[in-house]
This record gives sequence, structure tokens and C-alpha cells, in this order.
Amino acid sequence: MRFALFLGCKIPSFAPQYETSARVVLKKLGFEIAKMEFNCCGYPMRNDHFHLFILAAARNLALAEAKGLPMMTLCKCCLGTLKRAQNFLAQDPELLTMVKEKLALEGLEYRGSTEVRHLQSVLHQDVGLERLSDLVTHPFENLKVATMYGCHALRPSRITGFDNAYTPHVIEDLLQVVGAQSVPWAGRLKCCGAPLRERNEDLSLATIKMRMDEWAESGAEALNVDCPHTLLQIKWAQETLGAQSGEPARGVVLYPQLLGLALGLSASKLALEQNAPSPAFLTGRRAPAPGATKKTVSGGQ
Amino acid sequence: MFFSISLYLALAICVAGLTYKVWSWLTVSVDRRDRQYSPGQRAAAALAGLGRTVFSRKVGAMLRALLLDGLLQRRSLNHSVLAWVAHILLFVGFMGLVLLHALGTHITDSLFSNYYPTLDPWLWLRDALGVMVLVGVGLIIFRRLTVRGLRLTTRCRDRIAIILLAVIILSGFALQALKISSATSFDQMLEEYAGLSDPQNIKALRSVWAQDYGVVFAPGQTGADSELLEMGQELNQDSCVDCHSPAQHAFASYGLSVVLRPVALALDQAGGPDILYYIHFLACFLGLALLPFTKFLHLIIGPLLLAVNAVTDPPAMNPAARAALRALELDACTHCGTCTVHCSVAVTLGLIPNQEILPSERVASLAAKAHGRDGGRDHLVQMREGAYICTNCHRCTRLCPLGINLSDLWTAQKQDLAEEGLGAPLAEAARHAGEAALPSRSEKQVWVTTGGFQKGLKHSAQANTFYNCYNCRECTNACPLVFMSEWPNQELDLLPHQVMYCLKMGLKDEAMGSRMVWNCLTCYQCQESCPNMVQVTDVLYELRYLASQAARALEN
Repeated sequence: MRFALFLGCKIPSFAPQYETSARVVLKKLGFEIAKMEFNCCGYPMRNDHFHLFILAAARNLALAEAKGLPMMTLCKCCLGTLKRAQNFLAQDPELLTMVKEKLALEGLEYRGSTEVRHLQSVLHQDVGLERLSDLVTHPFENLKVATMYGCHALRPSRITGFDNAYTPHVIEDLLQVVGAQSVPWAGRLKCCGAPLRERNEDLSLATIKMRMDEWAESGAEALNVDCPHTLLQIKWAQETLGAQSGEPARGVVLYPQLLGLALGLSASKLALEQNAPSPAFLTGRRAPAPGATKKTVSGGQ
Repeated sequence: MFFSISLYLALAICVAGLTYKVWSWLTVSVDRRDRQYSPGQRAAAALAGLGRTVFSRKVGAMLRALLLDGLLQRRSLNHSVLAWVAHILLFVGFMGLVLLHALGTHITDSLFSNYYPTLDPWLWLRDALGVMVLVGVGLIIFRRLTVRGLRLTTRCRDRIAIILLAVIILSGFALQALKISSATSFDQMLEEYAGLSDPQNIKALRSVWAQDYGVVFAPGQTGADSELLEMGQELNQDSCVDCHSPAQHAFASYGLSVVLRPVALALDQAGGPDILYYIHFLACFLGLALLPFTKFLHLIIGPLLLAVNAVTDPPAMNPAARAALRALELDACTHCGTCTVHCSVAVTLGLIPNQEILPSERVASLAAKAHGRDGGRDHLVQMREGAYICTNCHRCTRLCPLGINLSDLWTAQKQDLAEEGLGAPLAEAARHAGEAALPSRSEKQVWVTTGGFQKGLKHSAQANTFYNCYNCRECTNACPLVFMSEWPNQELDLLPHQVMYCLKMGLKDEAMGSRMVWNCLTCYQCQESCPNMVQVTDVLYELRYLASQAARALEN
């Protein structure tokens, strides 16, 4: 299957390991990624320029539409923003006219048919848990992971369509496939504070500190995060607060990195060392003999 | 004489200009922090840093950058093959002409024993290099006209560079074409190299050159009978071919001379070759004199910058050296427009006609401001708008063919504008909104606005859902900020349900000015948990937007 990969503004410069690991995993799973250049999703402009947010999002959707490709995002805020804009445009004919006019100036057309999905949704629904578990050759053994769903993918759930906002299970399912267990913890569905960083640094920092404290208490070995904004928040908190930021457990890991390791890819191919803190221990937490123990998956929770 | 005078004058202007430029790297500042370093401190820090690097293992990275990003221009290949082809053609063609042709008597002559500009390979090579430059210029013009971002931002500076290059090359071709057909030039060569005095011999040689080399003589100076031509061929073999390859090998100029043949004699008699010679070398000297002030300066600064940026990280740099580096970067920008073409927020120009959004224009304004020309308050406000629409994606920095650390310049720009009292627009909007809400609070008076406000929240389709609020406080209970506060009402100001209720009562200013609106994390927990479909988060978004709009209106 072919996708237009939407990287957004943060990943290429601040979380390149997300792109690296997603690309190798997608390639391994037989996906084709079209080479396209998008603009900002519109998320950073939403506070003070509503129309800029809509236009920026619509241009991306129209670019993918022109190629007839579904979009796959890695950043959860990009997902939420593109979905939100699509929803606004579907409801507001005036807004739609404005967007169509502006995009027509560069020969683009917005019809609203672009499908936008997050990498994890694609893995869960298109590849499917069964096929993923068949492909896993190096599962982890009882790896305890605390996961964060990411606000803008999860809510408003009727618009983002990522999962149920109160009892989500997509990431749990995906973790189970690679032999990891999602521990119950307080921060799982909560905010990392990133949206407030430019408006109120103290509060933003307090928010991520709270998540890090909760994480430290969770007993998880690694924190699974799949949004570049959260990754940056964690890095910032560690740099700013140092030791006060709670015991940083043993590392932060992106889902494509976990999956890649379970598929037998090397840590360096998945750019594990670029995570802060790097979960280097994970390579040693995999089952010893490749293919010896295969997990069976029961489906959802 | 005139040639020498103008050459030395051009050289003097060039050297003076370069000196001024170096001085400006030591004195010009982007923000206040840079201003605190004296020229001496900057020079010392820059030289020390350079010295440390050159004598370290990092020199490998520098050389690598010089080779791959400098000579081979890998950075531009990554984003546009056409731009890369154009630039390589220009670079190879132009540098080739400078070394082989302009400095031919100094460089080529000392390297090769048989150097004559009229001899192959120099004869055809010169034309080939000229054609490369012309094709490169053509491609650049084509891109400037067809690529939207470039078309919008082409400035006088870009045109000057293109015109100067075109004049130099075209006058060169025209000069060569006229010389090929010029009888006067033939006579000069005859006198200088052949030393023939017998009129019959001269006529014979002329006949051969008219027939084989395309020289146009006055009627009667040549003949066509075979005996004469045979004699001419012999003389040509004896006196000419050793130092002059067939004129056809200068393929482009020869082609042009064929086109001009009908008027060649008239042009020659009117002194055409002399005039073109003056135009050609004066255009070259003008280019030389203007080098420090045009985009050609990047020929000198570019390699320096690529090497330095390959081994430095601005935040970790010595601040005095960084101040010098920033000033140098402002000069290095060639306004090539790569950053603008790929800018991830260039799309916003469709709604906000402010060129200060585009990185290439921001650098130009930054440079002008650093040199004391800030363009007035309105322009500063525009610069601020552009600076804050930028999402800091660093794409411009990754793509800049010269490796200018634009992201670092943007940080400095924001700092500088904040010093001018132009901070983050959102913070300003929050301040204005807070002030607008203040009177009703301090005087304990509540002005209920009636009418009109129903349409107040109209940008997001569901914003008016606040009417559905029945004050159950589910939103407030779900809010992570409330969860984090010990005394929510004191720490957070109005709580989410109170904001919704304020709106319901028509207290727009109260709602907009509450800190809750500005501290909202946008996590959508309130909206998700509302049992009555109030789009709480979207309403808060909309309030911030309306306050920003109002603040902008106030500013203008």
C-alpha cells in the first residue's frame, strides 16, 4: 500500500529517529512511501490565526488528494489538526469557498476526500495484529511499558477517530504483539504540556514534570511515546529540571522502534541512540532465540 | 592606459568594499547581546575558534563540507535538480572564464607553454564556458519566472546580478563575433604576426581568410581565382595556423558572426569591435568593483561559511564569535530563495500579504535592520508577524545552500524585536484581553452585552455550542490544570465551566481576559467529557483567536 508520509515541522529536525524508525519498519512491512513535500499542518497557528490554520491544513490535504494518496502522520498533533480542519471544512461552506479559492491560485483543489491516519492506526487496522505477530521474530519478554496516547490523536475522539477516548486499546494491542505489557498509570491519557510551552513555560514544565513523576511511580521499564512534542517535552524537562524530574526510568521509546526491534532490526537502524534517555537496554530484553517463542494475540482488550 | 586605470580603480573599490564588509562583521549586531562584543573581542574569538578547529580533527569535516557542499553543491542537488544544474553551469562556466580567459595571461600562460587565446583548445573552450554561463543564466531566469516563491520575491539585487552576468557574457560573444569578421582585426594580426608587404600576398591571404575564416573585407580586397587562393593557403600555413585555429571552433561566436555578416563591414568600420571591447571589460570591472556589494560576494564568503558551519553549533559557540558569524551570515545570503520555496509556512501568504513571512525576505530585513535601516514601526510589526508565524521547523536551515544557520538568526530576531517592545503576539493578545477584562472586575461591575454576540464566535463551526452549557462542571473536573492546582479559582482564574457560562451571559471580555483561556493546554479532555456537546476546547481556541485579532487591530 502507498502512503504520503506527513512528517510535520518537528520530526525532521528535532526527532529524526521517529522518521528513521518509521521508514524502516514500514519498508519491512511492504508499505510504499511517496516522496512529497508538505507544509506546516496548521497546528501552531491555531491559537492566533484560525484561517491560516485551516488553509495550511487544507493545502496539505489537497496535495495528497492531487496524488490520490492517503496521508499517514507520525505526529499526533498533526493528526488531530488535519482531522479537525477537515471537519471544520465539511461543516462550513463559507470556509470551504475561501480555501478552494486560495488553493486554486496554485492549481490545487480541495475536495475533502483525503484519508488521514496515524501510523499506529495503520499498523493496527491495515496490517492487523495477527499478521504483525506472525512477523515478530524477536519478541520482548514481559517488558513493562508505560504508554502515552497523545491528546490530539485521542480527542475529540469523534473527529480524530483514533480510538475510544476513555478506554482506548490500540496501543495496548500493538504493545502486546511485540511482547510488551502496558502498565496502568496516571499519565496514560493525559497531556504532556507541550501546547503551553510558548505561552506559559512554568505551567508547561509543571505539566510534564507531573507526567514524569507519574511515570517514575508506574514501575514501567520504558515510556512509550509516539508524538514528537512529548519527546521534546521530556527532553526539555530533563535538561531543565535535571534530577528533580523524577527517576527517568530506563528510557523513552517510540512504537516503531519497539516494533522494529521485535522484527529483528538492529538498534542502530532504528536510531535508538537518538532517544533521550535512550532505551539501550531494550536490545537485551528480547527473546534469545529468533522465532523460538511466538506470541499469540488475542485481539483487543 | 584606460584599461589599467579602470582595472585598478575597480580593484581599489573591491578591496575597500571587502574591508568594509569585514569591519561590518565585527561591528554589526542582530540583537542586543551581540552588541556588547567589541570588534576586537569578536575578531579574537573568531580567529581563536578558527585556529582551534583548523588544528583539530574537525578539519576533515570542514574539508568534506568544502568539497561536497562547496564545489559539488550537494545541498542544492537535494532539493532541486534544475537549480543544481543551473548553478553548476554558472559556477564552472564563470570560474573557468575567470581563470582561463580573464586571468589567461597570468594563470593559463604560466601553466601551459603554448597558450594563445586564438588556439584550440582555448578557442573553443572559451565559447563552451560562455555557453555554459548563458544556459545557467537562462535556467535561473526560467526558475525566477516559473517558481512561485521566487517570482514573488525577486528583487532589484537579483536582477542586477543576472543582468551583469548576461552583459558580460553577451558582450564577450558579440565582441568575438565582430572580431571574427573584422577586417581591421585581420590587418592588425597581419602586421603583428605575418609581416607581409607584397600587396599580392596580402590579397591572397585575405582571400583565404574571407573564404575559410569568415572575415568580411571591403569589395576588391579579395579575389576568388584558384591560383590566388592556393598562394593564400600556403601563406596561411606559414604564418597563421600555428597560432590561430579555425574561427569556426569558436562555435557560438562564429555562429553569431555569420548572422551579423551582412552588417559586419559597416560595424567594423564604425569601430564596433573597439566599442564592444570597452563594454566587455568595463562590465567585468564593474562586476569586480561591485563584488562586495552584490550576491557575487558569496564566492568568497560561501566556502568560509560552509566550512565554519560544518563544525560549529551556534548555541554552544563562543558568543563573541557567534556575533561575528551572524553578521557574516547576513552578508552571505544570496537571496537565492531556496528557503522561501520550501518554507513550511509560505502557504500563509495566501491570506496575509506580508513578505516578512518568507525566510529570504526576513534575512534581507534583518540585514537592513542590523545596518540601521529598520523601515519604521509598521515594518517592525510586519517583521514580528513573520517571526511568529514561523513554526521553527528548521527546514530553511537544513536546505540553505550556503549552510546559513537561519534558525539561529530567527532566535536572534525575536530577541531583537522583543527589545523593541514587540514580543510574542499571543502574549500581547493575552495582555490586551486581560486589560479589557480588568475594569469590570475592579469596579465589581458587570456589563452584560446584549445582541450581536451570538454571532461573535463564528469562526469555528461549533463555537456557539457554549449555549448548551448547563453548568454541570464536567469540563472543570476533567481539566488537568484544575487537577494540578491546589486552589483552582485563585491560580487559574475562571474555570472552564465559568468561562462557558460567562459567554452564555454575554460577558465576552470577562471570558477572553481570564487566564484560563490563555493557559488552556488544548488537551480536549473538557470537550470530550461534556455531556451536552459543548465544544469547550474549540471555544477556548476561538477566544484566543478573537483576542489576537483584536490585539492586531489595536496595533494597526
